[in-house]
Amino acid sequence: MSRDLCKKAGYTYTFLSDPKAEVIRRYDLLHPGAGVNGQDIARPAEFLLDSSGVIRWVNLTEDLRVRARPEQIIEEAKKLN
Amino acid sequence: MNQRRWNWHLWAGFLLCLVAFASYFLVFARFPVTRDVPWVNFLLFGTGVAFLFVGLKRAFGQPQQYRGKIAGPILGTLSLLVVGSFCFVVFYQTRHLPASTGAPRVGQKAPEFVLPDTNNQPVSLSTLLSSPMSHTQTPPKGVVLVFYRGYW
Repeated sequence: MSRDLCKKAGYTYTFLSDPKAEVIRRYDLLHPGAGVNGQDIARPAEFLLDSSGVIRWVNLTEDLRVRARPEQIIEEAKKLN
Repeated sequence: MNQRRWNWHLWAGFLLCLVAFASYFLVFARFPVTRDVPWVNFLLFGTGVAFLFVGLKRAFGQPQQYRGKIAGPILGTLSLLVVGSFCFVVFYQTRHLPASTGAPRVGQKAPEFVLPDTNNQPVSLSTLLSSPMSHTQTPPKGVVLVFYRGYW
């Protein structure tokens, strides 16, 4: 189903699936019961990592409606050498 | 029966409040500039409430000329409910998020993981960091991890 979505939307980036919310939990991003049918889902978050895997920028939005804009992430990515 | 005029301000005000509410979710939430702060919807709500105010003033201030002594308070109350619901959603519900104090911070190494991609192939974070993408020769300078809210 994700594959169809990616194809339809034309996404070229890597799209991963975390059905048991394992990685979501590892990153402490779980939002229990917040899914449409009461499922545990992730709260939105964006991380910028450098080539050695160290986190250089994090966006844990305080409001679901306000997310990082692509321009912001690109600006931060430019600072990576 | 005397010919009292239809109090259209009451109905226009109520309708504007409904449009203000619905249009956020249907239209304005798609664009960050109108989603982050719902200023268009606040303007619509403000205008709707102003119309209702005029309508109520006419219904009770000039009852010989205008109708609406029953419709007015009902529409006014309903509109307040709509405004209240909107404020509840955009000021409270969307901020009701877990603290995520355990989330990795700047300067820490991002926890390793392996997850299936859309072709069910396992992809690890270390691979993403070290292998070149299909159109380049060198490994990437970085990786952006985006955790989406959602379930499908």
